[in-house]
Amino acid sequence: MIKVDEHPDQVITVRALRKSFSGRRGKTVEAVRGVDIDVLRGEIFGFLGPNGAGKTTTLRMLTTLLPIGSGTAIVAGQDVAREPARVRARIGYVSQIGGADDLDTGRESLLLQGRLYGGDAASVAARTEELIGLLDLGDFANRRVATYSGGQRRRLDVALGLVHSPHVLFLDEPSTGLDPQNRANLWERIEDLRAAGTTIFLTTHYLDEADALCDRVAIIDHGRIVALGSPSELKREVAGQSVMLSLRDGADAITQATALLEPLPIVRELSALDGDLRLYVEDGGEALPALLRLLDEHHIGLHSINLAEPTLDDVFLRYTGRSLRDTGAGEGPEGAER
Amino acid sequence: MTLARDTLLLARRSLIHALRNPVWLFVGVSTPLLYLALFAPLLKHYIAHGNVLDEFLPGILSLMAFASGSGQGFGTIFELRAGVIERFRVTPASRLAILVAPILASMLMMFVFDALLVAVGAAFGFGVHWLGLLVLAVLLGLLMMMWAAFSIAMALLTKEISAFAAVINGLNLPVLLLAGVLLQISVGPEWMRVLAHFNPLYYVVEASRSLAAGSFGSDHVWQAFAVLVPLCALVLAWATRVFRTAVA
Repeated sequence: MIKVDEHPDQVITVRALRKSFSGRRGKTVEAVRGVDIDVLRGEIFGFLGPNGAGKTTTLRMLTTLLPIGSGTAIVAGQDVAREPARVRARIGYVSQIGGADDLDTGRESLLLQGRLYGGDAASVAARTEELIGLLDLGDFANRRVATYSGGQRRRLDVALGLVHSPHVLFLDEPSTGLDPQNRANLWERIEDLRAAGTTIFLTTHYLDEADALCDRVAIIDHGRIVALGSPSELKREVAGQSVMLSLRDGADAITQATALLEPLPIVRELSALDGDLRLYVEDGGEALPALLRLLDEHHIGLHSINLAEPTLDDVFLRYTGRSLRDTGAGEGPEGAER
Repeated sequence: MTLARDTLLLARRSLIHALRNPVWLFVGVSTPLLYLALFAPLLKHYIAHGNVLDEFLPGILSLMAFASGSGQGFGTIFELRAGVIERFRVTPASRLAILVAPILASMLMMFVFDALLVAVGAAFGFGVHWLGLLVLAVLLGLLMMMWAAFSIAMALLTKEISAFAAVINGLNLPVLLLAGVLLQISVGPEWMRVLAHFNPLYYVVEASRSLAAGSFGSDHVWQAFAVLVPLCALVLAWATRVFRTAVA
């Protein structure tokens, strides 16, 4: 057992958390391999990584839905492994698929959920009205959930996670499947919750979501945390600017261009990503003409060129050697490039 | 008393859902009536004495308890997909309550359908023994509870509709055929009669005929309770365990 220091402002303390599953033919799949997390009261903490990185498995362990493999997890002052019922009473959890019931109205769902958390009828009714206001559910709270749009349903899901005023709210991929407008709306609601002092732990594979909402981000890949910090701190680590070169002539051109550009002193890092070259330079304005001149001299044609400030994707690439968008996770609205 | 409170809250929800689903209500009422109308007449020539319904109607009641139990898992699969089960599991609500509440709601509906069936049967000559039917109701409740808990546990383990349907349907047919629901097993060969003794539904069907006739002293009655009570407790305990550990 690992000793965990109790910190009064610490809502989640996780040490050396692991989980493996037995896969096909007795092969063991290590989904989470030694994760440490500290979440402070009032912050929005983001878990960023591609699908299959171990985000949801970690979240499910912290919310008592999955037995802990090994390690320690203290959530809202209670040991998850030893006091799961106490943890449940103090946390809210909104799963990827939600959990609102088609045959209920939104209001009925909230009232039932509140009662299941042990509230008495009067206080649950008052809290329900409060949440209907907070998440802007008033227009449709008395309609059956089956008639809701994706965005309305999601806001109800979040409200369901908040009925008992939890110490911390867990959101698993909150904006997956939402159109840009509903996403923006959900983000505003989450900002409101932060302003009201709610601690939020969310997972996402959207870089812009982590960037826009989170006070701190942990980047997780293959069950390990590879980077941790505020979005701006993380981006600062990838100094300079990124240049994305999309080449016209495929693999040969990539090899040729890599050999050509890599030795240049202005190029700090260079990596090939199916058909594209990504490099980091100190100063884009100075580097671009030089790069273009060199490519032109060797008759390497370009589809497009893109100069950008570093994003969390660059951070992800730097720590994992892969782009988050190449992991098959980045469907849907991106907007990561600024 | 969180168990009782949570059970009541969740059973109320299930009941409201059932009432909001008129198609389901219609099927629930019409199926047993169809059996009475379209199958009972065929039995006339096999029954030597008395009304054919005295023989047949108790079997149909057992069949309904069995069917409404075994179908319970379909709702579980649906709620699993919709995230509803997870939403309940993350609350401190009693796990047993989450499991048992929808079963109790279905059971209440079943008893309403049963009463309707008995009323219609009585109009066509079924002899009603009130006390016998009351004891039979307890037995049917046990059977339904046991099969429903099994069905829900199988739904949680298989997690998807086609695998679940394969398991449940694969089990239903032999269990039904080896219980003598439609025709008494006693007319069959010896190996069938021996095999039937390993089938819990068989005991309920046999006891249901005795109880409907008002003969409490029959061996069938105590045997049915002796088989059903421990079996039901066992299956409930197992299903609750599955509920606690199964991962959606």
